[in-house]
Amino acid sequence: MTRNAIAATAVAVFLVLTGFIIALSPHRTRQAQAAFLGMISPFLKGGSSVEKKYREYREGLRTLEQLESENKRLLVANKDLSATNQTLRGLETENNRLRNALKYRERAVFQLMPARVIARSPSTWYNQITIDRGKEEGLDEDMPVLTEEGLVGKTTVVSAHAAVVVLVADESCKVAANVEGTREQGIVKGERTSSNSVPVISLNYISKQAALESGQKIYTTGVGGVFPSGVLIGAVKDFKVRELEGYATVVPAVDLTTLEDVFVVVSNEK
Amino acid sequence: MIPFFLILLASMFASLVAQHFIPPLPHIGARVLLMPIVMFYGALAMPLPGMLILVFVGGLMWDALHVQIVDGNLEVAMGWSILLYAALGAIMGGFRPLFRRGRWEIHCLLSGLCVAFIVLAEYLMITFRREPVSFVFNQEIGWRIGGAGIVALLLSPVCFFALDYLAHLVGYDPQPERKVRR
Repeated sequence: MTRNAIAATAVAVFLVLTGFIIALSPHRTRQAQAAFLGMISPFLKGGSSVEKKYREYREGLRTLEQLESENKRLLVANKDLSATNQTLRGLETENNRLRNALKYRERAVFQLMPARVIARSPSTWYNQITIDRGKEEGLDEDMPVLTEEGLVGKTTVVSAHAAVVVLVADESCKVAANVEGTREQGIVKGERTSSNSVPVISLNYISKQAALESGQKIYTTGVGGVFPSGVLIGAVKDFKVRELEGYATVVPAVDLTTLEDVFVVVSNEK
Repeated sequence: MIPFFLILLASMFASLVAQHFIPPLPHIGARVLLMPIVMFYGALAMPLPGMLILVFVGGLMWDALHVQIVDGNLEVAMGWSILLYAALGAIMGGFRPLFRRGRWEIHCLLSGLCVAFIVLAEYLMITFRREPVSFVFNQEIGWRIGGAGIVALLLSPVCFFALDYLAHLVGYDPQPERKVRR
């Protein structure tokens, strides 16, 4: 076989395989995505724990430097004790955070599944996170994800032990919402310029006369069947009028840049 | 050649995993995209069939992680990244004779340009697929696209030397004509 014949065969096989992939139905695509997520998730979990350890180490180191500057005259033994104390304080903070989360889980009206964020999408234009729960833990596609502070997003691709969550800051995640103290209803969605580092969301299709004020809270309406009603999405930042409708920029209730622990609503009944 | 090809595949997978843990650049929000740099190195270092397999695997992995299904429909079909990477890989492949003669800076320059083009193409794709279609291009978006390219440009020499070292470890020389020149 000549070199040209090999190249031609390779191109033909490549085009056939790519055509096959492009022709996959949404259902098959989701299955393929779930299979790949299942393959990559153990590495993401491993990477996540390494990243966590590194972060703790770095934070510990920074605190130690601060302590050194404050306690120049202290002996080495005192420095060790301070460092140990700092580590315990870190554990206490984490303990308090988990306690709050647990309390929220107990008082929530939904059946919640706690999950830990193991990775953030490396894409420039998609706002997604990966969590460490999947089908084996009772998760499915299009399940709402929230924290004790408010709405986070919804699950999309779900593998056996991991799931991708599209954040409320993503343009493709649309949530029916209403504004506290008014009859205004609209759709909350992320802006195209929104990213994992700078989440920007807006409330669209409200009336031009709405005249919303800064700080007014926005909640889910439950319309559409994915998100339960009454979950806080965020607060109005400013209100503007377009040619046909009014819209408001919204500050998300949840800090989407520092998410560590979330809850998945596995059932709307307790 | 085959051991090095397997190393390239493993490196692409490892860099894809690593990308998840690299935060976006402060202020400009550009992402650090490692996998395309490895893939484009492969496009220069491998003959056409090898390059096609690399871009196929790279595009498939990327789309498997990012393609979204909105209201039961695919926003962008899985596989479009494969075609995009193949087109860019073919452009890289066109510079292969120069690369084989030892001009490693070709990889760096083209990696930067191609990574910026990938981010731009992704942006255009979602812009024209999402309703309502509205084309917005401001400084922030420009920085995210250009920033990703600049980062790739700066990281690609490191990537090149690391992969070149691995290639020699397994007995493959991606730039055989460099020796002739000497």
